[in-house]
Amino acid sequence: MNKIIKNILIGFSAIRSSFTRVFLTSIGLTIGIFTVSIVTAAVSSVDREFAKSIQSIGNDKIYVGRMPWSFEFDWWNYRNRPEIKEESLDYINQYSEYVTQSSMKQNYWTKATYENKASWLQMNGVYPNYNDMMTGTKVVNGRFFSENEWKLQRRVAIIGGSVGEGFFDGEDPIGKKIRLGGVSFEVIGELEKTGSFTPTGSLDQVIIMPTTTFQRILTRWTWNEFVLQIDPNNREKAKEEVRMIMRVARKLKPDEEDNFAVNSADAFTKQFNQMKIAIAGMGLLVTSISLIVSGIGIMNVMFVSVRERTKEIGLRKAMGATNSDILTQFLSEAIAIAIIGGTMGILLIRTTLYFIGSAIANIDINGMGSAIDLQMDLLLTFYTFMVCVFLGLIAGMVPARTAAKLNPIDALRHE
Amino acid sequence: MTKSRREIIGIKSVSKIYNLGDTIVKALDNVSLSINENDYISIMGPSGSGKSTLMNIIGCLDVPTKGTYKFNNEKISDMNDNQLANIRNEKIGFVFQTFNLLPKLNSIQNVEVPLVYSSLGRAERSLKAKKALKIVGLEDRMSHKPNELSGGQRQRVAIARALVNEPSIILADEPTGNLDSKSGTEILNFFDSLHKAGNTLIIVTHEDSVAKRAKRRIEIFDGKITLDE
Ligand SMILES: Nc1ncnc2c1ncn2[C@@H]1O[C@H](COP(=O)(O)OP(=O)(O)OP(=O)(O)O)[C@@H](O)[C@H]1O
Ligand SMILES: [Mg+2]
Repeated sequence: MNKIIKNILIGFSAIRSSFTRVFLTSIGLTIGIFTVSIVTAAVSSVDREFAKSIQSIGNDKIYVGRMPWSFEFDWWNYRNRPEIKEESLDYINQYSEYVTQSSMKQNYWTKATYENKASWLQMNGVYPNYNDMMTGTKVVNGRFFSENEWKLQRRVAIIGGSVGEGFFDGEDPIGKKIRLGGVSFEVIGELEKTGSFTPTGSLDQVIIMPTTTFQRILTRWTWNEFVLQIDPNNREKAKEEVRMIMRVARKLKPDEEDNFAVNSADAFTKQFNQMKIAIAGMGLLVTSISLIVSGIGIMNVMFVSVRERTKEIGLRKAMGATNSDILTQFLSEAIAIAIIGGTMGILLIRTTLYFIGSAIANIDINGMGSAIDLQMDLLLTFYTFMVCVFLGLIAGMVPARTAAKLNPIDALRHE
Repeated sequence: MTKSRREIIGIKSVSKIYNLGDTIVKALDNVSLSINENDYISIMGPSGSGKSTLMNIIGCLDVPTKGTYKFNNEKISDMNDNQLANIRNEKIGFVFQTFNLLPKLNSIQNVEVPLVYSSLGRAERSLKAKKALKIVGLEDRMSHKPNELSGGQRQRVAIARALVNEPSIILADEPTGNLDSKSGTEILNFFDSLHKAGNTLIIVTHEDSVAKRAKRRIEIFDGKITLDE
């Protein structure tokens, strides 16, 4: 054991005498490690954000709207589709077996102002029971609007988790009067801050109000959605049932295509997984290429090192070094090169993430930053380190074996 | 010479043949030689006669083409690499004709090289190396690199390295070739004392004065032993 350490030290000390060469060789690995870390950090942070968003969409909900949730967004095909009308929801409530609760959800962006502060926010017009259907967030301050307030078209608003920070400087928003579309509303409730996104935007940047008020004050021409509560075990059946009801409600002939879409979180998940696999696949490709290239680089440098020091090998063997002593010495040298490259990679990725982190913190105006908090843990650093050791071992094996097998007298005669 | 001394090196009909395609060089031609414990041998012969070749075979650095070599009654050809490395490390101290110091290491580190491959700890290693350097009179050159030393000083570092592991056999290929007569004499006096202490010495030399100190004189010509007395 003591002997192995001595040989490792001899191998490491060779690094010092040819540091420039070692440094240049290890840069390949630095880039490789950097890439794999960036990809891993990106995938895991997107993943984390996505999990939050999926939660706020809810897997016990289906959504009826004009357009499907899809990354292959075919605007030209969808833009002429007729608006989703509130009357269709009556059909669903009347005929569906699977839908247990339902609410209208109207979307509209408008300017919200309080004193001299203004911001563009998403307005949601919903039914009173929407309060029971929200997933991923809930009213934590104040209350939701009542059945009565809905009927009477009251100008009451529930604000999203990060709206208050922007407007009220930490003061309690309840009871404050804000202007939405130029009309004064009373804030009666505040949602829990989630940091998550839905297909229609950040859940923390919304203002919720009765549909009745919404239509009277804001607009009748909006992007409407139905939010339908179902049993997740029957999701596919429910979607098909709702689709048929909607076709009837929208008076589609049998040969006409659907001019609406029934969406749910799982379709979104599928889309997302494809994207994730694509990112990860690209990352894996780039990583393996750079690992192979840097492995070859290390191997090359090691062959040069063995050739340059053939005489030294001969002498060490003449002085009693065994084959495994020489093998250990040169393997350690290869591993040292890989570790230097890997450490530079880890340092580089750490500093990069640090600067990205602080840059995001600086532009964190509307709670956006929490969506992209890249983070790398010690375990990942440890794995990276192990990959380097492994790569050094693989790349150094052939040169080190060549060195170990040299015949002492031939090696000594080498000039 | 008393009969009771044990044979430690037994060479029987050994040849070393280099086949260079068009010519065949017989560096050693059917050589037989028996060396006992505490022998003090000089080997002389013209350049290219095979002295170094013989030394390399005795030192287990090279293997004969033909014949058998027994070290301590064990056939070298039956030993594996680790056993050979062990013999080279513990039993034999080799002084090369061309020093063979490692250029990036200083004197003390060079002398420590054989000890690295033994089981000694760091402190013990440098203690022994310092002692060996003191013996060859280089205690004030411990941290000099080979290129900061004179030829004679390099030679002495090489000798210190051969001595440091206290081997029972010392093989020296022209150890005084690069030394002035004063330091040459010092080295030779030291060899005498090693002989008195019971070591076995084999010294290749061109100088009669060196050969005279030895108790046994071997002459080689064209790969053959022509004199052994
Ligand atoms: N690797 C080799 N390949 C071919 N021929 C060799 C090799 N090594 C030695 N020889 C030849 O073997 C012969 C003996 O060489 P050796 O080195 O033993 O001579 P030497 O007696 O030590 O000479 P010197 O006094 O000059 O050192 C020489 O003729 C040399 O050319
Ligand atoms: Mg010679």
